[in-house]
Amino acid sequence: MSALITITILALLLLYLGLFKAKKALLPVALIGLMVALVLSLMEWDSNAAPIFSNMMLYDRFAVAFSGITIFLTILIIALSKDYFERISSNVAEYYALILFSLAGIILMVSYHNLSMLFIGIEIMSVSLYILAGIKKRDFASNEAALKYFLMGAFSTGILLFGVTLIYGASGSFDLEGIKQYILKDPTAVSPLLYTGITLLIVGLSFKVGAAPFHFWVPDVYEGSPSLISAYMSTVVKVAGFAAFLRLIMFSFAPLQDFWIPMIIGMSVLSLLIGNVTAVYQQHFKRMLAYSSISHVGYMLFAIIALNGSSDNAVFVYAAAYSVATIIAFGVLILLQGQVGNDSFDSFNGLARKNPFLALTLTIAMLSLAGIPLTAGFIGKFMMFSKALSSYHIFLVVFAALNAMIGIFYYFKVIVAMYFKEEDRKELIVPVYFKLVLGFSALVTIALGVYPDFIASLI
Amino acid sequence: MNLFYFVAFLSIFFSLLVIFSKNPVYSVLYLIVTFFTFSIHYILLNAQFLAIVNFIVYMGAILVLFLYVLMLLNLNKESEPMKSNLLKVVGVIAGLCLLLTVAGSLKLLHASDPVLLKNPDIGLVRNLGKVLFKEFLLPFEVSSILLLSAMVGAVLLAKKDITKV
Amino acid sequence: MSLLSILIFLPLFAGLIIVVLPSSVREGYKYVALAAVIIQVLISAYIYLHFNGNVFTGIADQNKYQLVERLPWISLNLGAMGKLQIDYFLGLDGLSMPFMLLTSVVMLVALLASWEIKINLKGYFALFLLLDTAILGVFSALDFFLFYIFYELMLMPLYFLIGIWGGVRREYAAIKFFLYTLFGSVFMLLVIIGLYFSVTDPATGYHTFNMLSMMDPKNYVEGSIFSALAHNELFGVSARLLGFIVLFIAFAIKVPIVPLHTWLPDAHVEAPTPVSIILAGILLKVGGYGILRVCVSIFPDAAIQSAWWLGLIGIVSIIYGALNALAQTDLKRLVAYSSISHMGFVLLGIASITPEGISGAMMQMISHGFLSSMLFFLVGIIYSRVHDREIPHFRGLALIMPKFSAFIMIAFFASLGLPGFSAFIAEAFSLIGAFNSESINGLLPRWMAVCGTLGILLSACYFLWTLQRMFFGETRLFGGEKWKIQLTDVNAREVTALCILTAFALVLGIMPSLAFDKMNASVLELIRLVNLK
Repeated sequence: MSALITITILALLLLYLGLFKAKKALLPVALIGLMVALVLSLMEWDSNAAPIFSNMMLYDRFAVAFSGITIFLTILIIALSKDYFERISSNVAEYYALILFSLAGIILMVSYHNLSMLFIGIEIMSVSLYILAGIKKRDFASNEAALKYFLMGAFSTGILLFGVTLIYGASGSFDLEGIKQYILKDPTAVSPLLYTGITLLIVGLSFKVGAAPFHFWVPDVYEGSPSLISAYMSTVVKVAGFAAFLRLIMFSFAPLQDFWIPMIIGMSVLSLLIGNVTAVYQQHFKRMLAYSSISHVGYMLFAIIALNGSSDNAVFVYAAAYSVATIIAFGVLILLQGQVGNDSFDSFNGLARKNPFLALTLTIAMLSLAGIPLTAGFIGKFMMFSKALSSYHIFLVVFAALNAMIGIFYYFKVIVAMYFKEEDRKELIVPVYFKLVLGFSALVTIALGVYPDFIASLI
Repeated sequence: MNLFYFVAFLSIFFSLLVIFSKNPVYSVLYLIVTFFTFSIHYILLNAQFLAIVNFIVYMGAILVLFLYVLMLLNLNKESEPMKSNLLKVVGVIAGLCLLLTVAGSLKLLHASDPVLLKNPDIGLVRNLGKVLFKEFLLPFEVSSILLLSAMVGAVLLAKKDITKV
Repeated sequence: MSLLSILIFLPLFAGLIIVVLPSSVREGYKYVALAAVIIQVLISAYIYLHFNGNVFTGIADQNKYQLVERLPWISLNLGAMGKLQIDYFLGLDGLSMPFMLLTSVVMLVALLASWEIKINLKGYFALFLLLDTAILGVFSALDFFLFYIFYELMLMPLYFLIGIWGGVRREYAAIKFFLYTLFGSVFMLLVIIGLYFSVTDPATGYHTFNMLSMMDPKNYVEGSIFSALAHNELFGVSARLLGFIVLFIAFAIKVPIVPLHTWLPDAHVEAPTPVSIILAGILLKVGGYGILRVCVSIFPDAAIQSAWWLGLIGIVSIIYGALNALAQTDLKRLVAYSSISHMGFVLLGIASITPEGISGAMMQMISHGFLSSMLFFLVGIIYSRVHDREIPHFRGLALIMPKFSAFIMIAFFASLGLPGFSAFIAEAFSLIGAFNSESINGLLPRWMAVCGTLGILLSACYFLWTLQRMFFGETRLFGGEKWKIQLTDVNAREVTALCILTAFALVLGIMPSLAFDKMNASVLELIRLVNLK
């Protein structure tokens, strides 16, 4: 709770700083504030979590772990924003404030104990993002992205809300525990309204995390939005959406597994297939990342398919690995777009010669996304695969393994371009903040891959 | 009960008019009337707060705004894009599907247990306020962040940029 | 930290030193690497000398491994599924110890060949040493997860070594090699996970990745997917057989067997000489070693069930590889196909599941390790001088490069199985094993051994024919006088490397007991395990 308050106050503080034209202070203040929020949220670890505010929120380990990781990722992304917003417009403070507002929404999304909180959390997050997606006012792609994201977002929120009301109609409660008790009372004779409600909720949340077949908006929105915001959307927002999804299903709907598992399996298979196959054909790095993010949702859904006590852990590890690697990729992308103005695979040619550090970190990120051992991504995939195999989804896992192969093919395109293709190019200038974030993220990726113990049995 | 059926008839009647009237301005006007009948429904259901909100916000604010936008856009019959036959077929199929679903679910459903509705006066402003400021205090307060971020965003998007380039 | 860990991580450490050294001392990189590899050779020689093959029979008993090191590495709490226990678990037995020595020596030779590398030295030597670590790790890992990690870790450096320092079509060759191997290993991972859920550690009761526990049928959970008693079926095939096949394919791609061999000629042709040496000298052996250590030991029942097919694949590889070699005009491609042919003997020997056969297969791997390294080194010498290796472009090389020709004659004759060299012993034992198999366990029909003999004949054909075309007769070169000047004879560094390899091939040919004594007991133990089922 204190993290939520800190973040909100921080956002207001930044707005005031903007008012008093203290532009230099914005980034340091935001970073320090977020670090304080991170520490505060981690201090609630193991503090005998009980639902607070008449069962509205529950800061259990799940909530603390996921709010911790989202705040942590936001710190990394905001550190990349040095000089980024200034290039777009002069109202820098508002952008920081909006990012922080959406983070506040995310904190609600990962710690809710009541569907109304889930809804409000999603709304806060989305409304800020609709605007952030469109901050390049003169850029056509950015406008399109914002509009598309807004329409799809509003649509999915509507579906979600409809699902919530139907569940309320069936169970008479917004409370996760209440809904669970209602289902447990007689799992064979729950109202048909509840089934419809669950379906609609799953559809609504799938829109938010970008799982196929509700993924249409993802490539255009990620491509059109400013890269920094795309990075935020494909990491923090996705992790939060997934955490919300998992929390809902773990808390309330676990007894009705037989009903929703086929749906999730279908979504997982489709996400893997569409994400991976389409990514192979992309010529642009950013769009490839968008499709690859769809495919990663497919892997993450494995944890829900094989739902048990350690699903949260598996998602946590996978999400952390995926997000850190994606942040590296977007970091390099931002530099490339800013200084070369192009993000096709060809623009990576010969990068290894001029910027060995950038090339190395990006390689580590790509290897992690591809799931090569000794990177965090491998541990994530390993956990997902072993979970799915432990519940005998052998076909699914074989299918996923084939998709992982396809994935390697397109992730390696970047590596091939950087290392194997020679081209005369100018050296990219890498600011200190970037160096820190990229180096740190690469280190985290390797460290998690070699010794995942300290994160993997956290929750 | 008769009153309910009468109002329900009016709702359906006016909503059909919304669809069938050629002039978009009339459509919106009919929509306002439809919403008005909804408000009557809410009052019949003893949900006064909802009725008032519906009356003020939807009918009063949003739809009037809608009307203004329509008038500004100056939509004519000619500029309306023709809908292809394929679209019509798809529409019919979709509509029939919906009808089927509704009929199916009506068959499955049963009248809700009146005992379940513990407090029939929940819709009164006083009771709603109590719930909002006791049980649902947190969501109520947190909504302020939502409004604030929407406000900041709206200003940000609408404000003219003083760009150097 | 045991000697084994030092051996494994010494190259990695040296690689890190190279990474942090400034570019101003770039000429020093290779000496750092050389120092590391020489220390590595000394350590493995020490291990060899102190290895008691009769006591450390290994295979399925942890107490019978030498230099065992077992530390908990990853332990994840998986809730209802118990605890995920992954150990850092190393050890040597008669099957793996010879490969440690082989790896060290071949790495030394490859490093001596790396003197030709001119660009991006820091990256090259760092990757080279990383690869060294990974290979040593594969040969000594006893935890399946650890094994897999090292196995995959071999891929990355190789991918870059081929892709950055390779020939014209290096990009294609690198990704082809990578995807082929990865295709095998991804499915191997699935089998590993399946095995993990089937096996429990008798000591702790948790599921385990310990390979030794996987070899004991008693440790399998009742009714689990790979339990021998449960007779589970997957996709209509017995689960254990399917597991065996998947693992076999993963390793067979490395060996390589026909028809999964197509990456090998491409990779060899495009790779720089040192990488070719490592590929042929060590990496192919990882496949053979994996089949023995993993496939046969963990799925003995399935191995016996499919022995006939294994033998057949071996024969096909021998004949097909040899015929292809006969048709090549590129010297390096020829050597690459001869590798496929020679590795077929390994498969044939393993398939016989007789002491002679498996000893022969082991011997063949070691002998081929030295000989193919020598062949690729020799090819590399020509290529580095004139950047051409088309056989028709050379004639009468013996006149201008007498020392070189002497070495190539030794290599060719040794490879085609001249008595007195290691390959003769190896091939003879494999064939004896295959021949005896019908009377001992009835797994392989006799005609397979006969077909194998045909392979030796064919290898004599292509080697002698090449010798005749390239080295005998008057000197006529495609590049004319310019080439004549460029084609200088071998220098001291090259002579050193070649002498090391010749010595090993010769010593093992004359005194095969040096190798057999160390591994015989382990081979017998393996066969006992297989027949135990």
